[in-house]
Amino acid sequence: MAPPQKSDQEIASEFTSYYLQRATKEFAEDLDKVRAADDFKNDALPILVSALQQGTALFSPEEQRRIITAAARPESKP
Amino acid sequence: MGKRFTRGPDGAGASRKRQKIVHEAPTSEEIHASRQLQQLLSFSQDPVRARHGLQSFKLFLDDLLDPDSDHGDRPKILRDYLQFARPADDDDENTVCLPDMMQTWSYAAQINNDNIMSAVPVVLALLLKLLSQSLETVPLGLAICRTLLQKRQQELIARNLAADKGKAFIISPTLRMLKEAVSFDGGAVARPLFRARASMLKSLARNMGIVHIGEEAEDTKRPSARTNAILFFLSALKFLHPEAKKELLSQRDIVSALTRDVKQDPPYLVRELLEGLRSHVLLDDKLLREAKANLLNTSTLTRLAALYQYRLGTPADDETSIPDIAHDFLMTACTDPACGLLRQDSGFYPREIDPDTVIPTAELDDLGLEAIVWMNKFKTEVPVRNYTLSNFLPNLRPWSSVKQSELIIAIFKVAPELVAHYFLTNKSFTFEPKLSATWIGYAAFLFNTVTLPVPDYFCRAGTFRELPPPTSIVMDNILPLPLNQKALTRSLANKSNMISFFATRILVVAIEKLDAAIKMHQDASHSNKTVWAEAARRLVDEFCQRSPGIKEMINSYRAIPEGDVLHREAGSHLLRLCYEVLPQVALMAKFDVSPFLETALGRLSGQELDDPRDFALNLKELENLLAIAGYSPGMRWFTASEGMSLSPFTLLLKVYVDAPDGVALEAIRSVLNFVAVEQQLVPAGDKHPGLLALLEALQSLRQSSPDSVTQLWPFLDNCLTRCANTPVKYVEKMQDVIQNTTQTAEKDLEGAVASPIAMAMLEQLPFVAAKDGGQATIKALGRFLPKFLGLSATAGESRPLLDSIFSNMVTNLADSKGKLAKAGVPKGLEFEHNPTPRNTETKAKKPRSTTASQMEEKSEPQMDAEALEDTLHLPDSLEADNAALVKWTTKTVDELVDEGYLTSLIALLVSEHASIRKEALVNILKAAAKIKQSEYEEKEQIWLLLSELAETARDNINDEPLPSTIASFACHALNVLRDPLSSLYSKVNIFLTRGPFWSLDRLPLVDEVLSEEPMVGDTYYAQANWLLEYLIDGLRTPHDFELFHKKRAKGPVLERILALAANPYMRLPLRSQVLRLLYRATRIEGGSTTLTTRFGIVNWLDARQAGCSDAGEAVIYGALRRRIWETCDQDRVRVWSRGSLGVGQA
Repeated sequence: MAPPQKSDQEIASEFTSYYLQRATKEFAEDLDKVRAADDFKNDALPILVSALQQGTALFSPEEQRRIITAAARPESKP
Repeated sequence: MGKRFTRGPDGAGASRKRQKIVHEAPTSEEIHASRQLQQLLSFSQDPVRARHGLQSFKLFLDDLLDPDSDHGDRPKILRDYLQFARPADDDDENTVCLPDMMQTWSYAAQINNDNIMSAVPVVLALLLKLLSQSLETVPLGLAICRTLLQKRQQELIARNLAADKGKAFIISPTLRMLKEAVSFDGGAVARPLFRARASMLKSLARNMGIVHIGEEAEDTKRPSARTNAILFFLSALKFLHPEAKKELLSQRDIVSALTRDVKQDPPYLVRELLEGLRSHVLLDDKLLREAKANLLNTSTLTRLAALYQYRLGTPADDETSIPDIAHDFLMTACTDPACGLLRQDSGFYPREIDPDTVIPTAELDDLGLEAIVWMNKFKTEVPVRNYTLSNFLPNLRPWSSVKQSELIIAIFKVAPELVAHYFLTNKSFTFEPKLSATWIGYAAFLFNTVTLPVPDYFCRAGTFRELPPPTSIVMDNILPLPLNQKALTRSLANKSNMISFFATRILVVAIEKLDAAIKMHQDASHSNKTVWAEAARRLVDEFCQRSPGIKEMINSYRAIPEGDVLHREAGSHLLRLCYEVLPQVALMAKFDVSPFLETALGRLSGQELDDPRDFALNLKELENLLAIAGYSPGMRWFTASEGMSLSPFTLLLKVYVDAPDGVALEAIRSVLNFVAVEQQLVPAGDKHPGLLALLEALQSLRQSSPDSVTQLWPFLDNCLTRCANTPVKYVEKMQDVIQNTTQTAEKDLEGAVASPIAMAMLEQLPFVAAKDGGQATIKALGRFLPKFLGLSATAGESRPLLDSIFSNMVTNLADSKGKLAKAGVPKGLEFEHNPTPRNTETKAKKPRSTTASQMEEKSEPQMDAEALEDTLHLPDSLEADNAALVKWTTKTVDELVDEGYLTSLIALLVSEHASIRKEALVNILKAAAKIKQSEYEEKEQIWLLLSELAETARDNINDEPLPSTIASFACHALNVLRDPLSSLYSKVNIFLTRGPFWSLDRLPLVDEVLSEEPMVGDTYYAQANWLLEYLIDGLRTPHDFELFHKKRAKGPVLERILALAANPYMRLPLRSQVLRLLYRATRIEGGSTTLTTRFGIVNWLDARQAGCSDAGEAVIYGALRRRIWETCDQDRVRVWSRGSLGVGQA
């Protein structure tokens, strides 16, 4: 039986976490430098996270679904 | 209950002479009977006794108010006492309740006894608090409240409240007492109490300033005068009627004192303050907006914003933190119009201007945007309606706090007028790239600002206004001022990938917003269409000046590391948007997408990606690149570049086949199909499913035998490339097979269809076995070919023809046992991976430009004349502006060349007045001399151009205007000379060095562009675009048109242009240019007639329309055909066509 389709909200939150994970991987080196900068204080972490994840706005809900569901299906059909 | 002992003053022998600095603690005794209480509280002139009584009563009340204590018979004692102290007539306003106590208070005031002046309100506050707890005792409490309202008591209260600042021990209890009184019985006396505000609110503002002093936090049991004052004020707000509240909030000193020290207030007070103001001011529907606005002034907002940094106390787990409460408060206050602060603005139209001003059409036509006096007025200053908010915003620090950034963005959203104003007035903060938390915070804030939608109709109303909004304001909303060219370019080129990633993302949303704004400018409902169109062009110009050039974007994309999928997706997205929204800029860049596409394909086809999501993201990048390839005509699909074993087309095919399950591939399939049809790998036509059979066969083979597919790629690539290079050869070969089969098998295969690619495979099969390792390929082909042909048959190709092809193939398929030959082309194969061809949309689709799909969205079956004009009409660029004769003289050479003064001068050579033309000629020569003497880099060539133009014009302009084509050529050639990187640079220079003057009879450079090699890379289409631009501008009069249809060695120019449009590789933007040229011709007298009778334009348009797959484009052809009919000499055309034209045209 096909699994029930994910709601837009689920897709959005899964996509956001995927996006963040990708971004932290790609910019790991730069992020380390930012953490070492003088102005990195208490509030800086939430700023960094929100700044990184706002890029999800560049993907339409359909595109987000496409990317997330790419992982959801089994590798080969029975 | 423990026994209480009488407490005496400290140290009985303390000297009476010493000045007391510390308060002397009062004595007290335990109360056991109401009679005792009466005696204790009876008036006495002895202050010590009076104080003793009051203190005893206080302790008695404290005990009663303590819910944990065993009260014994105390409630009865109190009841009895109050019965005694109660006036005879409760309702009489003049009777005094608790007369003894009031007398004591009055006496204390006379003798200036602070202790008693403090002790009475202490006791009264407690008493009122106690009485409010039971319904029975409420009347008694009310009587006390009324007593307090009497003149004598009012004076005492006022005196207490106005006590010295240092005497908080008097002020605080009085405020507590008033708080109990104002809230007693649901605010029963709030109204009269407020009437007596002269006394009751005496010194309230000052008292709000008496804060707790000391290192340690304020003790909740000993609240400061400020705390008590605030709590009294909040109770008053709660119980006062709206009119009184309005009056209260108009007291500026009180409102100001309310928040002055809020940063140091204890957490519970801040909480109560914000919650009280929120529910009793902000959300009170009955309170007028003006009253609320009195509270919400800039300084209140700024002080509350300081609470974002509030650090006192730690909230409990279930409590919201103070910064969060303050944030919620400010969000409501600043964005809810009901709160009185937010004023309705007109979006991108600033205050003070009237966007519906009626400007005479003639003036608009003459001056364009310049006719609107305010159009350029708001580049340095924008007047706003939301004055308070505009003053408040600079106090926020959006770069260092997510919440503050959220607040500003929310305000921008509801008051769009503030965006431009904010960045104009806050210039200190720059976007200069630096890898720091602050820069990232600022970039995030700017990203959110750019993401804000364009207000409805620019003005937040239901329809468009007459005139467009000031371009500078629209621009400041698309790319706010800190995002200037320098900062963005440096960010894109920054060595930190993250900085360039952030800049890329901002540019992506900015171009998307620009696109939305342009579309709104082009809306069909505008009445002043030309002005709106001019504003849209100006917007694009200004955007290009503020945004980095496409070259910087390309370089930035090029520098992204291989593995950074997210970054690469964003970079390619940006480039794609440039092609879609700013094609004129993008095409100038001569960007060859092929190498990028090949790399991306190589990556996708070769790489084993762990995460299918990464694959999907890579695919999105690939789609972006494919779309760009669709716009740039130089894409070489069937040429494998160095280091690549397969051609881009085969690579794309491989990506499609190898993609993990679940990845959406529609976009790629449609590109594959489009290219396959275009290159005649498969038959074109609605009924043929294109490449579907090949895709399905490969996918199904991959599932059953992945190794076989790997074996197949080189063979397939070879066949595909051959077929694409010489399609006709394979079509002919197929005809041979058809003929042979018809003869040998006596089957009638007339009109049978199969894919030419199958013929190419048949042809190449014999060579496979001869190669090293060919046997493995042959084996794989043995599996693949029957599948492919079987599926082709299922998809509707001719089975007998396929049988015939297959029987020819079998001989080469190592079919020693004859199994394959026996089985033949399998029947009834089904499409499992792809939609079955009968259900699918088989028509080949190509990636469309936005304009095309936009047109399609609107696709009505017919386009009206107005819409056609919108699409195809271009304003006359050579329109005479006589002022140009004078304007240029004061300009520098740079300005002269770069800002269009020179072209305006050249345009005057086509003026209808001989005197103007002569004057222009003289001025052109002067300008040429000025340029030659300057330091301008291209001065020699420009001097040459102007001199040759002058030489060409000299003899001619006395009698008639110069042909527009010559003037237009000179203007466009000038632009080429300005840019040595232009692909036409060498052609124009060669043309100039050819001779000292030009033939008036010819159209310069037509042959060079249309028939010769482009000289620089793949720039044929960019050059054709330049040519068409200059020809459109040069077609203005019947005389100009003659030059277009005059017979020439290679045929009339117009004929060659029409042939150009039939070029299948030419994209919509260029085809549209051809249509614009035709449209221009229809505006010339006799133009439509000549087009019809000399060029058979009606048939040409019919043919174009029939061959056009895009409904949006097709309607343009139809509309243009109607326009030609409407504007031609219909009688003549009817006679010419022997009546076949004109039927059903109108």
